[in-house]
Amino acid sequence: MKIPLARNLRDGRFQALAGATVLTVLTFVLPALPLTRNGVSVLAVVDITGSMNVRDYTGPDGKPVSRLETARGALRDLVAALPCGSRVALGLFTERRPFLLFTPIEVCADFAPLDGALAVLDWRMAWEGDSRISAGLFRAVEMARDLGTDLLFITDGQEAPPLPSTGGPTFDGKPGAVRGLIVGAGAYALSPIPRYNDRGREIGFYGAGDVQQENRFGPPPADAESREGYNPRNAPFGGAAATGSEHLSSVREPYLKTLASQTGLTYAHLDGPGGLGPRLLAAATPRPLPGRLDLRPFLGGAALALVLAVFLLPIARALSVPRALTLKKA
Amino acid sequence: MGGALARFAVDAPLVLWLLPLALLPLRRSAQRVVPVAAVDAGPADALSQAVGWTLRFAGCLTLAGLVVGIAGPYRRGETITRTGIGAQISILVDRSGSMNETFAGRQPSGAEESKAAASRRLLGDFVGSRAHDQFAVTAFSTAPMLVVPMTDRHAAVRAAIQAIDRPGLDYTNVARGLAMGLAQFGPQAANVSRALLMVSDGAAVIDPRVQGTLRAEFARVRPNLYWLFLRTKGSPSISDKPAGEDTPQAAPERHLDLFFKSLGVPYRAFEAEGPEAVAAAIRQIEALERDPIPYTEQRPRRDLSWVAFGAALFGLLVLVAGKLAEADLRRARGANRLVAEAPSERIAA
Repeated sequence: MKIPLARNLRDGRFQALAGATVLTVLTFVLPALPLTRNGVSVLAVVDITGSMNVRDYTGPDGKPVSRLETARGALRDLVAALPCGSRVALGLFTERRPFLLFTPIEVCADFAPLDGALAVLDWRMAWEGDSRISAGLFRAVEMARDLGTDLLFITDGQEAPPLPSTGGPTFDGKPGAVRGLIVGAGAYALSPIPRYNDRGREIGFYGAGDVQQENRFGPPPADAESREGYNPRNAPFGGAAATGSEHLSSVREPYLKTLASQTGLTYAHLDGPGGLGPRLLAAATPRPLPGRLDLRPFLGGAALALVLAVFLLPIARALSVPRALTLKKA
Repeated sequence: MGGALARFAVDAPLVLWLLPLALLPLRRSAQRVVPVAAVDAGPADALSQAVGWTLRFAGCLTLAGLVVGIAGPYRRGETITRTGIGAQISILVDRSGSMNETFAGRQPSGAEESKAAASRRLLGDFVGSRAHDQFAVTAFSTAPMLVVPMTDRHAAVRAAIQAIDRPGLDYTNVARGLAMGLAQFGPQAANVSRALLMVSDGAAVIDPRVQGTLRAEFARVRPNLYWLFLRTKGSPSISDKPAGEDTPQAAPERHLDLFFKSLGVPYRAFEAEGPEAVAAAIRQIEALERDPIPYTEQRPRRDLSWVAFGAALFGLLVLVAGKLAEADLRRARGANRLVAEAPSERIAA
């Protein structure tokens, strides 16, 4: 029997199979496509002051989880999610300054020590009790500029002691020179702040009288004269003890947003132990990283589609054409 | 068997759900379907059957190969434990404010180097000078801070050392720092050489209540203890007895030294009054810590996509050959043309 070569060559199924063959050969020939991806280089500064111990997040098992623990989880998740070649430095914040633990580390090759360092972040590393957020943030911005990185500052925004009526320190750097995120940790409702003894054991919560409710250093506020018991010399802040809710804590979002606009950073709320990656990538300076795009899955996928079409097309055709006669062998 | 299989993995496991498609060629053919009134009328032809099965098998192989190839198979990287020369070294760095002064006790100016900058430079050279050392870094001032856990990734350790000449914090709380420095060793094989290297420019009184706990920890971990004492010129030496009362408060350096000596672990103190002395001390420590240490070596993962695509390519070549060598029974016979294509299980070849 003669083989009708010309007719065979015209057959669509032959052409599809030949195309698939060419695509499969290409998987061996074509090199991976070089491309640049966007990574980040970021200094993460974590607030480890007392108010970060407030348990106003809910863990996966329904138990309350502290802000610091949630922040730690979010950072570990972030480090695992960042594209390889991104670099992360870590600092702590308490008192009025950030403390650099290490300069940037690459997130893939040195993942184990980086993850290990994040896993043990603890409020017990704090060296002083104050929490002057704005001062700390401004210095962190400076530190990030020094290191040539962006900034990720995780805090709940609670100043302790409260800011004086004249306002906090002013930012004298260039807004926007360092990009990055201020991440507000905590729920929007007020929660009590756990209290620890000098051996690090929890002994209850702070009461209204345990913390400074009003900053009475410096000049008194403008409304002081209308306060009861006001005396310019003996009671410039009024006669009554200050009351307030400084012993309770919630995320101070408006304050953090003000700080963000002063420094040119972006504000984001920490919703849980995850999801920081995309927001950081959006806010940070993109740093081009060399990457490779492996073309083989795409070539293989196209070849697979062609071969499947060859095998499935007769079915489709058979379904669409009403059959006049069916010869069926059992 | 399970162990051998466990070393293989794919990048996109979900793609493997497409694998049942590979059975499609058993039911469908890529060849022309020719209706024949009664196949049984013809004689059984072994060659035709063999060709038919070859084509079916080639179809299965093609589809399976492509699906597996897209999923991206690879053989996992291996971690091999070998033995080299080195030690587990837990570095405990004083980050109190006085570390930012020079050895002469001044703020550094011009070419002068602060104590922190000198130790940063020299420790940075030390880390990574031997491939198989493992390091952990702990900083301490008022509170101890775990900076980097025990690791063989020297780049990370150097990044931690880079940070030690940043402005320091307030006080020197040696006891808690020592406890954390010891905790860095972890529950590892006891035959590894362990060294605790404390870098500080001063000392502090160790609370007698904590001393017992520290002693017990030292007895358990049994590290070699090195104290690199960056002495400021004119300040009391480790061996100086104070003129007045000899109490820990009056001479904390001397009493910390006495405490270390009483621990019963190998201990050496190096008093360095300048960068050269620091370098000499580090060279000595390096020479002393020469013991076998198990270390892990990472074998990179091996890509196996090419095997799958190779199999698919082989199957495709067979299928293409089958298509090229196809006869057209309908044209050849011409006479008995049927209107519609009827499904048939037989393959015309």
